[in-house]
Amino acid sequence: MNNLKKENVFLKQLGNAKAVPVMLVLFLQFVCFLIFAPKVFSGYRIYMSFFQTVPPQLVLALGLTLVITAGEIDLSFASVVAFSGFVFSYVFRATGLAFPALFCALASGALVGVINGVLIARLRVPSIMATLASNFFWGGLTVLLCGGLNWSIKEIRNTFLHTLFVGRIGGIFPAQALWGVGLAVLLWFILNRHRFGESILFIGDNTDVARVMGINVENTKIILFTVNGIIASFAAVLLTLEITNFYTTQGQGFLLPVMAAVFIGGTSISGGEGTIVGTFFGMYIIGSLEAGVVSTGIGGYWVRLTTGLVMAASVIINVNIKSRGKKIIDTIKDSVFFKAFKKE
Amino acid sequence: MKAKNLLLTALLLGLTLALSVFLACGQPGKAEGEQAPANKIVIYMQMGGTAGDPSTLARTNGAKDAAEKYGVTLIEQYSGWQPEKMIAQFKEALAAKPDGIVIMGHPGEAAFEALVDEAESMGIIVTSGNNPLPKLEAKYQYLGFGYAGAELYAGGYLTGQAMVRAGLKSGDKALVYGLFSQEGRSKSPQGMFDALKDAGLSVEKLDISPEVDAEASLCVPILTAYLEAHPDIKAIGTQHGNVTSNMMAVLQAAGKKPGDIKVGGIDLSPATIEGIEKGYISASFDQVLYLQGFFPVFQVVMTKLYKIPGLHINTGVGTVTPENIKELKPLIEKGIR
Repeated sequence: MNNLKKENVFLKQLGNAKAVPVMLVLFLQFVCFLIFAPKVFSGYRIYMSFFQTVPPQLVLALGLTLVITAGEIDLSFASVVAFSGFVFSYVFRATGLAFPALFCALASGALVGVINGVLIARLRVPSIMATLASNFFWGGLTVLLCGGLNWSIKEIRNTFLHTLFVGRIGGIFPAQALWGVGLAVLLWFILNRHRFGESILFIGDNTDVARVMGINVENTKIILFTVNGIIASFAAVLLTLEITNFYTTQGQGFLLPVMAAVFIGGTSISGGEGTIVGTFFGMYIIGSLEAGVVSTGIGGYWVRLTTGLVMAASVIINVNIKSRGKKIIDTIKDSVFFKAFKKE
Repeated sequence: MKAKNLLLTALLLGLTLALSVFLACGQPGKAEGEQAPANKIVIYMQMGGTAGDPSTLARTNGAKDAAEKYGVTLIEQYSGWQPEKMIAQFKEALAAKPDGIVIMGHPGEAAFEALVDEAESMGIIVTSGNNPLPKLEAKYQYLGFGYAGAELYAGGYLTGQAMVRAGLKSGDKALVYGLFSQEGRSKSPQGMFDALKDAGLSVEKLDISPEVDAEASLCVPILTAYLEAHPDIKAIGTQHGNVTSNMMAVLQAAGKKPGDIKVGGIDLSPATIEGIEKGYISASFDQVLYLQGFFPVFQVVMTKLYKIPGLHINTGVGTVTPENIKELKPLIEKGIR
């Protein structure tokens, strides 16, 4: 029993190395940018700009990682960004109070999430359909409720909430980047060290086995979608606070970059395997790509083509490092030393 | 288990119904005594972007106001500025056989010609907005085919000239960040590009990606990177409404002070107003979207009732600058300007 435990811990440590390829790809990407655009990437402003704009997408990607690990998908997060942004702005404009606005925004995300969860877990609607419908519904409701108007909430800049979430530490560093890291750490612990994360992994692997293991699959899924709704609404708050404006289409352009970040990070599309660390670095790869290409002096119609090439190269390097890494791990597992260690 | 699921389904349906009724009751009704004509004119109208975005909102409001005034049933169609969707929407409108169809010109004359021919042969009045279709307009003007919109190239040129007036000189470096890859939407940034070139500036083009087109806040790191890579840049121009909204954030992220970079943009959202007020945006092209919504509806009604031919109305003749922003602000916030 003790040996088995030792082996599991060791394999888990090796398993955690699955985020290493994506970290290396990000490192290589920035080395390339430093070589081709030294003027831009040797300064601090470009990094501060990434820390300013990537966190809302990162927060969304982290939540989505849990959902995809459970073998499900959530396409409604883009509309939650709009809907919760609307609720946040509405409450702030009506009351002038920032914290109640935050609470209401998070509650609105939870509402969307719990409805998604019930549709998927109890009524057995496939998650791709349920959340796609949800994306249209909540997006449409947002436009209806705000009468299609964009709102400025620039007065929120004078509140503590603004300083707390998107203030500039030392006048330079965007606070939202730390909130992104904090959420990543929290979700890493939940996925890898908490019973709820274990349930997500089992459900993603095989729901029947999960049931046999005594996991309440339906309740876990409802909680999972509710948590993802809350996380998406947090992203909405970060975005709305940063731009101090609410506009009805906010979040709509995040759908593809956020999903790309989760998959580049190494989370399995078929569920049962997810990596928070991979998503974290994957989001910074995606979030910095186009800006990096532009800074190298490539302009006009060449930017998108080059961005696509760099993205493809990143994925190829990622896959190669992964497969080589797996071979190394297999070699270690097959080695005499490891077998001897197992016997002991 | 089955009964439980049925109960849940019923509960969700009930909730949705209740919400719909609640929202329907909340809609503004007609004033007392005001009655719609017995045979209401039905108009399908392409609005352009998405409901409520800064490039679309005032157009929708203008169209709604005209529809209410003339007792028209208005069917709004939003395409997210996708030309292929505009074509699909025209086909949908044709299938409904309305009295009038208002189209956006972005897909171009070749894409629209057969469809407009078909509509005209069915007796449907077709008119256009935002992006002109001169050949179709000439062909069917006598049947009410008009145009209400800015001359996009001229509008871009006008904004470029306003940027030069804000303090640029020959030899300065400038960037025009626009949708050059979309034929219909490239005219306006091209006009701006040419105006800056004609003033003797050294100008570079950068294409807006589909992701930035959909979520403009993503432009912040891209333009910050560009500014860092080109520290001698003196001006940035764009003819994308949502990118214009984000220009103040871009300049702040790049550590620029108001006036360091002359910025020219388009349309008027609350964020753009703030940018103009604080001096980050030197000029924003005002294509008076409200009239782009109002006039096409008015055109269809006039043609339907009084056989009035298509009118060509240029709605884009000015720019909003720090000098004139104050008096326009209340109207902009209401979604009229």
